[in-house]
Amino acid sequence: MLTEQERERYARQILLFGEEGQERLKKAKVFIAGAGGLGCPIALYLAVAGVGEIRLVDRDTVDRTNLNRQVLHWEKDLGMPKVRSAEAKLREANPDIRIKAVATTIDETNARDMVTGADLIVDAMDNFPTRYLLNREALRSGVPLIHGAIRGFDGQVATIVPGRTACLECIFPEAPPAEVFPVVGTTPGIIGLIQANEAIKYITGAGDLLAGRLLIWDGLAATLETFTVEPRPDCPVCGGEMRP
Amino acid sequence: MKIRVKAFARFREILGSDLAIEVPDGATMAAVLAALRDRAGDESDAIFDEAGALRTHVVLMRNGKRVKRDDSDALADGDEVALFPPVAGG
Repeated sequence: MLTEQERERYARQILLFGEEGQERLKKAKVFIAGAGGLGCPIALYLAVAGVGEIRLVDRDTVDRTNLNRQVLHWEKDLGMPKVRSAEAKLREANPDIRIKAVATTIDETNARDMVTGADLIVDAMDNFPTRYLLNREALRSGVPLIHGAIRGFDGQVATIVPGRTACLECIFPEAPPAEVFPVVGTTPGIIGLIQANEAIKYITGAGDLLAGRLLIWDGLAATLETFTVEPRPDCPVCGGEMRP
Repeated sequence: MKIRVKAFARFREILGSDLAIEVPDGATMAAVLAALRDRAGDESDAIFDEAGALRTHVVLMRNGKRVKRDDSDALADGDEVALFPPVAGG
């Protein structure tokens, strides 16, 4: 049940998807992997939308070079674990939800715990090895994964529904080379909000997901395109096997 | 026959956007990639490896669907090939 305060807080979006949709958001548990350029806008917008439980995981502390894009971290937060800095802002933004902030490196030993009981995994990582780990965990648990990544003015998003769509390794069998990537804050802002929008759609059941589609944002050209991505029968992770 | 090529992100800066290249009838993806390698010139190493093959992480699409760089199917006049470098940052 929604409280009076919640009905008022979410009045404008209850007009969109009803109290039933809002109840679904309230019941939802979302694991956001990363509290950086993508994780900050994703966590903020899911928090104010009323996602009942946000699990935010990141190993880093706030550095001044983060501040051009990681909008939940401010000058006063330098040196603080990112998840603590983010948690403080999210609690102020919406005291009606639960924030579980964990300062740790996501690896084989803890990924399963983070996914257990979650309705969704949102990929806000900055490297492909951890993304591949999240993908395997999504396939194992059946929990959908909303992938996003950025560089410079460019970004990509895909929603992976285990058993229904291509998995992350079907789409990207080879990781792009690791680098210190150039980036302006608007790019993770745009891509992170497309991911948050996918999360809200998945939870409320509204609209069409980017399932089986890869969205490509080219910020310099200001173009956005989607391409069909099919499961690869020779994918070493999912084998391209779909549920009947 | 004419093949339309769409390149994204850094590849668009190197190759140009929305180009049309001429290949012989019955040509495969290899002919398109060879033409793009020539076009990229000095900057081709962002897209192709030392042996001249498309870098393995690059996403290659034909008419909106992913294909392998060594796809042996003959292309058809008016086909659209798209090239996209996946990004990894967050």
